[in-house]
Amino acid sequence: MNDFKALSEAISKGDINKAVAETKSALEAGISAQDILNQGLIATMNEVGDRYSKGLIFVPQMLRSAKTMQECTKLLKPYFQEGDVVSKGQVLMGTVRGDLHDIGKNLVSMMLEGAGFTITDLGVDVAPEIFVEKVREVEPDIVGMSALLSTTMPAMADTIEALQKAGLRKKVKIMIGGAPVTERYAQKIGADAYGSDAGSAVTRAKELLGIDRSEE
Amino acid sequence: MGSGMPHYRPPTRSDIAQIDRTGRRILECVGVRILDSTYLDILRKAGARVDCDEQRVRFDGDLLDKVLTRAPSRFTLYSRDGKNDLQLGEGGVYFANGGRVFRILDMKTGGYRLTMLRDVANTATLVERLDHIRFYVIACEVHDMPPRNYHLNDFYHAFNRTAKHVMGGCGDVEGARQMHRLASLIAGGEEKLREKPFVSVITNPVSPLTIEMNTLNVLEFCAAHGIPVTCAPAPISGATAPATLAGTLAQMHAEALAGIAIAQILAPGARVIYSAVPMTMDLRRMELALGSVEMAIMNAATVQLGKHYKLPVYASGGITEAKRPDIQAGVEKSISSLTVAMAGADCVRLAAGILDSGNSISYEQFVIDNEIIGIIHRMLAGIKVTEDTLAFDVIEKVGPGGNYIAEDHTVEHMMTEFFYPELSVRHNFDVWEERGRPNMLSRASDVVRSILRENTEGLLDLDLTAEIARTNPGIYSI
Ligand code: B12
Repeated sequence: MNDFKALSEAISKGDINKAVAETKSALEAGISAQDILNQGLIATMNEVGDRYSKGLIFVPQMLRSAKTMQECTKLLKPYFQEGDVVSKGQVLMGTVRGDLHDIGKNLVSMMLEGAGFTITDLGVDVAPEIFVEKVREVEPDIVGMSALLSTTMPAMADTIEALQKAGLRKKVKIMIGGAPVTERYAQKIGADAYGSDAGSAVTRAKELLGIDRSEE
Repeated sequence: MGSGMPHYRPPTRSDIAQIDRTGRRILECVGVRILDSTYLDILRKAGARVDCDEQRVRFDGDLLDKVLTRAPSRFTLYSRDGKNDLQLGEGGVYFANGGRVFRILDMKTGGYRLTMLRDVANTATLVERLDHIRFYVIACEVHDMPPRNYHLNDFYHAFNRTAKHVMGGCGDVEGARQMHRLASLIAGGEEKLREKPFVSVITNPVSPLTIEMNTLNVLEFCAAHGIPVTCAPAPISGATAPATLAGTLAQMHAEALAGIAIAQILAPGARVIYSAVPMTMDLRRMELALGSVEMAIMNAATVQLGKHYKLPVYASGGITEAKRPDIQAGVEKSISSLTVAMAGADCVRLAAGILDSGNSISYEQFVIDNEIIGIIHRMLAGIKVTEDTLAFDVIEKVGPGGNYIAEDHTVEHMMTEFFYPELSVRHNFDVWEERGRPNMLSRASDVVRSILRENTEGLLDLDLTAEIARTNPGIYSI
């Protein structure tokens, strides 16, 4: 068993420079990338997630750790065959047409990213056509839509319809959220999931893709 | 209002100067992003440093000072009946309810539902009748009508139910036009409206440091037509602004000054209010915390920053995350409304009716908040000390061992010296039981019911209503 204490500490603290240096020296010491990933990075992030769940650390700390881990993962990429360090899934995120609120959407994106998903963020005021175009281009597993105005919620239904028309609906899972959005509304417009906050967005996303908790 | 209280000033004078300097430095070095090439052009011609690729506008100190001095330090938000004309910049503190929620706690069912056109009318009626709420902000989104003629309708039903000053958002310039046509008709002409605007408009930049085209269109339209307007940034500490209060204030100040400066460039002398809604999040779980003590402190500091430029200030108090009119609501609302009032805000907005971080309202909460505001007004009035109130003569007359109950002096002063709450329960225990154990909330429900029962008619006179209906076929009735 290798000693990842210093790396683990740097990730917990969100110290990117230190963590990157530790990852490099581990590689130089001949430790396998697979071990660094599993015993160093992923094990630490699981601990961080645990500490967050227990209320011991705050969201910014957790996101900072996630970002640190991502920077370290980048260094490991060359050692893996393509597809070996799999992302949990591709998520295309956007705030729907007519709506400029993006704080919730950004938070959800960051949490998903922290949980190992790859995010393509389309920003705000995203028209259905743009969602369609980007789904074609990016081929995501999940499309996430955010609406903070009760008056822009219908744009979610419009987007789903546009994806349907484009023949893309069956290729993606759709997850929606935002303060005025409800589980019932998600069902009504034929979305696959509703998430009430960033934490549940991660849970829902994993459920949608059939990622079992025990696999982590 | 002569305030008997020492004003609450969280940052010292020199701290405020430092926050101001940082705000100006942000405008000079970082600038604001403006998402429209026409406005970029206008601002460049006015002397701002414009980078079209970045869509960035930077203001040097000289330009800023030159245009900001065009902003009036005092002006009036008029009512239609003259009973609630609000002289901003004269030391008075005026409270308003909060706007544009999508959900209401319906006490009849105890559940929550989407807001309707009738909720605009009903909340306007409540504000018309609740003395301490001095102007009406269009309280909610209307979900039972199509988007066409939206602002014709929400403003119409507001005007029809209250003669107090009405403030609201307009979405885009078409919405502002609908409101303006209607208000001009009611005023008896565009010029009359310009002279005594009884309506004003809310716009917001997007923190951090971005102003969007629709916002500028509405700002320009209002500024050009003499409609008072706000451009209120709503930065959130730790999310869309730094996690320090001073940093949030510095960025917010830059955003607020940019809005005012742009309005003064577009229409010199425009009636703009220095306005902002600095907010906080609970960073443990990234949940909004609009009832936080830090939000109260920052809104007090907002007043100081606006007053630093001798501008009328519009800050926020009285918000809460509480979902019902409960203990949390009472605590958070009282503390923040008081804090901002003591800082000397000209307008305290969001201070009535709001629950659930600004997502919900309740009619009962309007009535409860009215009482809180009444208490605050009494606090601001302080203690009047004159020969007469010092009461030596009556003390001498009553002498040791007597009482003051039936003295002339008591009768003369009892009406003005005390605030008489309508909701607080002051019965003794037995009377309280006999009356069916009332509490603040049950009493608020009674008040709501009686106000809405007694005020079912619109205020606009019949000829005018007919004329409006004739020229505006898009108006829905409730
Ligand atoms: C901040 C804010 C703004 C800022 C936005 C800045 C920004 N960069 O986003 C500014 C000032 C620009 C703004 C503007 C406006 N706003 Co605004 N705003 C808010 C406010 C106070 C907070 C929103 C927020 O950031 N919450 C914090 C985040 C973390 O929470 P969240 O967004 O709900 O996200 C969480 C969940 O919902 C979920 N989630 C969110 N998205 C997604 C997506 C997926 C896929 C999933 C699974 C989950 C999920 O997870 C998130 C994390 O837990 C809300 C009130 C409120 N309490 O929500 C009003 C509010 C949403 N705004 C409102 C209004 C009316 C407006 C304006 C029209 C104002 C006006 N001028 O009149 C404009 C509209 C501009 C536009 N076209 O979009 C109303 C909406 C009413 C309605 N009809 O629904 C609200 C409710 C307040 C009010 N009473 O006025 N606003």
